Amino acid sequence: MKISIRDVGLAKIVEVDGDVDLGTSGALRRTLFAALPETSVLALNLQAIRYIDSSGIATLIEVLNDSRRLNKQFILFGLSTAVEEVFRLTHVIRIFRIVETEQEALDDAPGPPAGGGL
Amino acid sequence: MTGFQVSFAMASDPRYLPVVRGAVGALTAAIGWDEAECRAIVLALDEAIANIMRHAYQGRSDGLIELQCRESADGLEVSLLDRGEPPDLSKICAREVGCNLPGGLGTHIIRDVMDSVSYQRTESGNRFLAVKRLRKNT
Repeated sequence: MKISIRDVGLAKIVEVDGDVDLGTSGALRRTLFAALPETSVLALNLQAIRYIDSSGIATLIEVLNDSRRLNKQFILFGLSTAVEEVFRLTHVIRIFRIVETEQEALDDAPGPPAGGGL
Repeated sequence: MTGFQVSFAMASDPRYLPVVRGAVGALTAAIGWDEAECRAIVLALDEAIANIMRHAYQGRSDGLIELQCRESADGLEVSLLDRGEPPDLSKICAREVGCNLPGGLGTHIIRDVMDSVSYQRTESGNRFLAVKRLRKNT
């Protein structure tokens, strides 16, 4: 599994490529929990995830719960058919904010801060 | 003709999970399930093995897990054997469906996907048995 992060405005986009399972979900968890406090919107691209198990879904639930505690937005986009099937099997698809594209996720990001009181 | 079957004896190391997924995915496709059903069966078995790694062996990577998958007259029979801590049956599927708690998802997946599931404590260890029936189009 490969993970990369990039900043787009005030949002952070996390890209994951590969399988998310018991052996790899810990690395995803650490990455998402490290990124969350540093952004207003954390958007996770699931398009290149070939496989995700319940440990991966549990990681996403933990991050979602923490995002609510910190008043941040945690958005998922690019769900493949295989990933969406696992969301449905675990009956948690409705608790997440899920959009189709990165642009839709970015549309949820707040604009740049207003000028410094000039 | 003998049906398809695969057997694994592996360590309780999560690095074996992709290996098992590959083999079981190919087996279920050979038996006759479609792609979505194959993915679901593979997920259910992966969850059962991951539960053994996490709970029976409590994260140790040197426990022994024996997996047998066998084509039956009407589908697939799966057997898993481990020698770790016995499962706490009161916690299986105890999670409320649709809630935002992170734990307990795997056993719901297993129950939803497989047609029958049972857990036995035997002299040789903890045995997990599951059956998935193949519904043939007529």
